[in-house]
Amino acid sequence: MTLEAELGLKSAGSGGIVFKPLSAGEFVRAENDLQEVLDAVAGESGSRLERKSDEFGYEWIVVRDTDLEDQVATIHAVAQGLQERGFGEQLLAAAFKFEPKFGDGEAIYWIYGFKRGAFWPFVPKGDKERDNAEELELKAKLEKELPIEEDLSRWLALFNAPL
Amino acid sequence: MKRKSYGRDAGLSLRMFITVSMLGLLYIVFAVVLFQVLNVGLIPMVVIVIGIAFFQYYTSAKLALLAAGAKVVEPDQAPELHAMIERLCAMADLPKPKVAIIDTDVPNAFATGRNPKNAAVAVTRGLWERLEPQEVEGVLGHELSHVANRDVLVMTVASFFAMLAGVLTRFGLYAGMFGGYGGRSSNNNNSVPVWLIVLVVSVVTYFLSQILILAISRYREFAADRGSALLTGAPEHLMSALQKISSEMFRIPQRDLREVESMNAFFIIPASVKSRASTLFATHPPLEQRLERLAEIAREMGRPVA
Repeated sequence: MTLEAELGLKSAGSGGIVFKPLSAGEFVRAENDLQEVLDAVAGESGSRLERKSDEFGYEWIVVRDTDLEDQVATIHAVAQGLQERGFGEQLLAAAFKFEPKFGDGEAIYWIYGFKRGAFWPFVPKGDKERDNAEELELKAKLEKELPIEEDLSRWLALFNAPL
Repeated sequence: MKRKSYGRDAGLSLRMFITVSMLGLLYIVFAVVLFQVLNVGLIPMVVIVIGIAFFQYYTSAKLALLAAGAKVVEPDQAPELHAMIERLCAMADLPKPKVAIIDTDVPNAFATGRNPKNAAVAVTRGLWERLEPQEVEGVLGHELSHVANRDVLVMTVASFFAMLAGVLTRFGLYAGMFGGYGGRSSNNNNSVPVWLIVLVVSVVTYFLSQILILAISRYREFAADRGSALLTGAPEHLMSALQKISSEMFRIPQRDLREVESMNAFFIIPASVKSRASTLFATHPPLEQRLERLAEIAREMGRPVA
């Protein structure tokens, strides 16, 4: 059974990792390390990798792959590479984007928090609001499939993720 | 007459009187034991004890606001909230308290201050944004009833003993670990070590204060719920507010992960810890009981209840 069938969701073809900007002091070394990780992963996988930054000044590695299994594997490889080179503290979250429930609705996200090692759903409604009812429904549906963050007050949003 | 109907009631007054007296007694016993055992001398002891009490008394509101991360707002910063509180205070015949806002998504509120003149009412951003105005009014009515009932004073006094005993317990434990208070007790090798006595007394004081706090806090909450119902004349709004506040859905934050992450870098207390301050529900009776009692009041008032 595919991951998509298991989740009951259709991947929007992109996911990514968001991490804190690199400190100025180590910028050059960190930048080289980061590029090495990206090159290594890109060489092994068929996914397309992009670097982006957002309005909060955070950095993103966006992974484009229509196959969800491959997308997840690539994101995992990038995260692992970054952790091995000492960026573990920098990592904030991974986000996976899925098609909206209804045709022109809002996209659905599953966010993985590196610090607590758990997932939570995120369904934005515009720039500032979110669809809590839908999120709780997603949680109920996937409780057995995923390690879900139990503390709902930690289900923080990722509005306007560049995915 | 008017004032009496808003939350003042004989049962509560009696309980508060008993609690305060018992706490006072406990405090005196505690101080005497400290004085006898530690031999600090009467004058310094009295000065210390009274000094701490006064410090606590005068700073309690500020400390509570500070601990909750609440910022006092002026009428031009939150005109609607101020107007709502002014209206309720006019009806309850209370002086207007300071108004503070806590910047979290979790809907909640608390009142603090040693007396109605020096009171402060704090609400979270989540309460203001996520609840309907009448529901916010119900919650504010609850908090203002706490102010009118002087519950804050009782709880401040009560928690002071618990706090002091807690500090001394820790002190006693350290002293025990690191070999007592120098030579002070070494002249008599057969006696029980001083730190052990301090420790036992502190532990007992701590637990007794906790029991007393619990004994009165439930009753205070019911009284404040009733005060709110009478003040706003519409208990059903407080009922729906309580249901909303306690619902799981409202624990999901509106905030962005990146925003919170950047803030945590600058604050000593992580934002996630602050949002745990569920003041409206700490030491509160179960929601079902509160709703039941409010429904009863609503029926008596001839209000529609679902």
